[in-house]
Amino acid sequence: MNFPILSTILLCPIVGLFLILLTPRKYENLIRWIALLSSSGALALSIYLCFIFDASNPSFQYVERIEWIKSYGIHYTNAVDGLNVSMLLLTGIVIFCGILVSWSVTYRVKDFFANMLFLVSGVFGVFMTTNLFFFFLFYEVAVIPMYLLIVIWGSTNKQYAAMKLTLYLLLGSALMFAGFLYIYSLPGAHTFDLVTLKQNVVFTSQNQDILFLGLFLGFGVLAACFPFHVWSPDGHVAAPTAASMLHAGVLMKLGAYGILRVAIYLLPQGARHWATMIAILALCNIVYGAMVATQQRDLKYIIGYSSVSHMGIVLLGIATMTTIGFNGALFQMFSHGVMTALFFACVGFIYDGCHTRMLDELGGLSKKAPVISAFFIIAGLCGLGLPGMGSFVAELLVTIAAVKTYPVIGITSIIALLITAYYVLTAVQKAFYGPLNPHHEHFKDLDLLQFFPRAILVACLIFFGIFPQVFINWIWLSTKSLLGG
Amino acid sequence: MNLLLFLPETILLIFLTLLLCLTLLKKELTEKMLMPFVGSFAFVLLAAAFCSLRVSGDLFYSTYRIDLLSQGFKILLSLVFFFIFLLSGESVSIQKERRLEYFFFLSTATLGMMMITSSVNILTLYISLELSAYSLYLLSAFKQGRRDAEASVKYLIFGAATSGFFLWGFSLIAGLAGTTNLLEISKNVPVLITQPAFSLGLVFASFSFLFKLSGFPVHFWAPDVYESSATPVTAFIATASKAAAVAILIRILMLMGLTHAFVIILGTMAFISMTLGNTVALVQQDVKRLLAYSSIAQAGYILVGLLAGSFDGYTSCLFYALAYVLMNAGAFMVTVLVAKASDHDNPQMAHFDGLADRSPFLALILLLSLLSLAGIPPLVGFTGKWILFSSAMDKGHWFLVLSGVLNSVVSLFYYLTIVKHAYLEKPKTNTPLVLSMPMKLLGLFLFCAIVFLGIFPNYFITFAQTAIQQLGAF
Repeated sequence: MNFPILSTILLCPIVGLFLILLTPRKYENLIRWIALLSSSGALALSIYLCFIFDASNPSFQYVERIEWIKSYGIHYTNAVDGLNVSMLLLTGIVIFCGILVSWSVTYRVKDFFANMLFLVSGVFGVFMTTNLFFFFLFYEVAVIPMYLLIVIWGSTNKQYAAMKLTLYLLLGSALMFAGFLYIYSLPGAHTFDLVTLKQNVVFTSQNQDILFLGLFLGFGVLAACFPFHVWSPDGHVAAPTAASMLHAGVLMKLGAYGILRVAIYLLPQGARHWATMIAILALCNIVYGAMVATQQRDLKYIIGYSSVSHMGIVLLGIATMTTIGFNGALFQMFSHGVMTALFFACVGFIYDGCHTRMLDELGGLSKKAPVISAFFIIAGLCGLGLPGMGSFVAELLVTIAAVKTYPVIGITSIIALLITAYYVLTAVQKAFYGPLNPHHEHFKDLDLLQFFPRAILVACLIFFGIFPQVFINWIWLSTKSLLGG
Repeated sequence: MNLLLFLPETILLIFLTLLLCLTLLKKELTEKMLMPFVGSFAFVLLAAAFCSLRVSGDLFYSTYRIDLLSQGFKILLSLVFFFIFLLSGESVSIQKERRLEYFFFLSTATLGMMMITSSVNILTLYISLELSAYSLYLLSAFKQGRRDAEASVKYLIFGAATSGFFLWGFSLIAGLAGTTNLLEISKNVPVLITQPAFSLGLVFASFSFLFKLSGFPVHFWAPDVYESSATPVTAFIATASKAAAVAILIRILMLMGLTHAFVIILGTMAFISMTLGNTVALVQQDVKRLLAYSSIAQAGYILVGLLAGSFDGYTSCLFYALAYVLMNAGAFMVTVLVAKASDHDNPQMAHFDGLADRSPFLALILLLSLLSLAGIPPLVGFTGKWILFSSAMDKGHWFLVLSGVLNSVVSLFYYLTIVKHAYLEKPKTNTPLVLSMPMKLLGLFLFCAIVFLGIFPNYFITFAQTAIQQLGAF
């Protein structure tokens, strides 16, 4: 067996977690460094994986397989293809920057970083496993630390938001759980291994329809699909900065990834059956999320609802059931992940300095802090789909596919992008231009340590905006084989 | 006769006799000697249970069967006994001068439960059920106060009623089969199954086991008894008693088989147990009462696995029983220590405030055991629930599985509420909660068990499979 690179990526945060648990809580800096080292290990390996990954091979690579619970068809299997290689990279980037951004956390440092690493090991696990048991296991591992992160280190109505988020997500996972077990009980199955299921099980069209609906609803909750999105803005707002970054940047992508990896992979007919419904829901996401965002005064709520709107684009791409649409969806997942992480990293910094996120109480910040303002504006421009940014390519691909498949929905979604431009520009104008609020006279700009993580995120956005071909090359064949099978 | 066959029970019998002798000594001397004495015996009992793990055979004219199922459960019961011994030292509500009686009845209850797991005759089964039940009635009245006596009387009356049902049901079965030997009866099941009286008898008899498991419709005693008993006793009822009930349910159901009607009745009970337990638990403030309702809900999950009636179903039930004992033990350990720290034997949610600041380790144990009860990975409760539900789904019980998983979401709300109190609320006193060395070790043991069995369950699942294979062919 070759070097198990996927498990090593997974082990990085887990080893870090155990080291942190063993460190006495008074060594706060040591704890921070352990967290940083383990996340940079994971990042380095996931970048390395992008280089050694063979894009010309659409099937699973670097397969690792260990028998776990034999009699229930549970194997510990990891594999990588175009779908998850990009997601692993995204997770690596966001956690690395998240740890750096939360360097300034001082309350219960040990618990904070332990939770962060625990969460991210769940996320890595979901993205690399090809067994439904482990998929579910890692998925819930990613949800529970979120509760603690919000409830202990959060702000703004945190108890309500944390409980709402957890119950919603677990309701979604309950549907997933039931769906997985139903698949397991089908004739010929008796395994949770995705590849074996795909080969051995013949899903009747009735099963396809019911199962896909159940799984879609389950994953849809996490992907913030309308009308199950209500947990997400509250959760984003209440969470501490790094948790918001991970949450909006990576966690929401788990849902969309699940739809692709499990639901569409196993049940393509079911997906076609419900595609129109998904497209309509996705349009609701795009339009409704953007409309609500125009009415918000709290910067974090604006970003929260913009995430709902942008996840709609991902879902719309999936709903087209075409290679271009899938590519757009995946690209949007990646660039939206980086973009929201940047958004939250900026807002977190502004909130720490000004102690408010209300648009009316901010103003003129670009005079005092040009760098953080520039970062926020870059994220904003990416959000409204400026050419040269990652999101532009993603939205273009999705729109092309959507207009072809669902002309009305596709064109409406283009119009909705104008609303996005409106609220992003209003927010930028109110917060960073105009007269400076005298309360924020002492607001200081980023120092080098705080500059670094945000700069990485900006660099990613611009790099993939200018060279989208790099990204498309990774995913192209895998999305194609997803439809061809 | 092989001495090993009856070893754990023999040890307990010797221990009981010695305890009686101990009462003859001077009072001060007894008080001084008691704890080390019980502790060493609990240890010997555990060792004996391990020694006799792999033996098998029949005793007492085939009324008593020693096999892997019974021996496995005996280890579990001795573990629980050891655990309760450790907790009893920390409890506020068991007075020093009554400790001897307390341990006496604790041991008789354990003896009864061990015998339950081995009984293959209606008579031995009845005797062992009553032995454990009467000891528990007495134990639950160990705290002084009117309210506690009320709960104990309630327990007694309900228990007596269900054991009446037990006798009625089994008298029907024995009358039809012409024997009291369960193994003989099981050979005649294909003939007997056509008789309505047989099914009726089986349903009546199972009330008695459901009572121990605190499942609907015989769950009413649980909240009151849990609330008013001394906390270690509650812990004992919540762990040992449940384990014994699962053991005997597995044995009886495997011998008698599941008819369609029986599955429907059990399924309804499972559904109501889960839903009722979880719904009512949502509004509880008293932690022990809350855990009682959670145990009613858990009884429902276990029933779902049992009525799958398949090899996998029974295996997963066995595994889940182990998981259930571990995670409940964790929850009760924290409850006992919080009760001790606040000098209040009925800790409310508010008593858990700021536990994470006062003792991070204890808060972690609480977090893990509650999340495990809610079925959150990678803990043992999750793995247990996964295999439990997947074997039920395999047999087409999709409705029960769906309501089971939805119920788990509901249950998370109240488990997280306790967690929230422990991690979020400000403590009323800032004095750190210091753990004694045995408690630290116990906590560490439970921590490791809950996490590692969740991630690496394969050994124990294989063990459970071997145990089930010995019972019958599939």
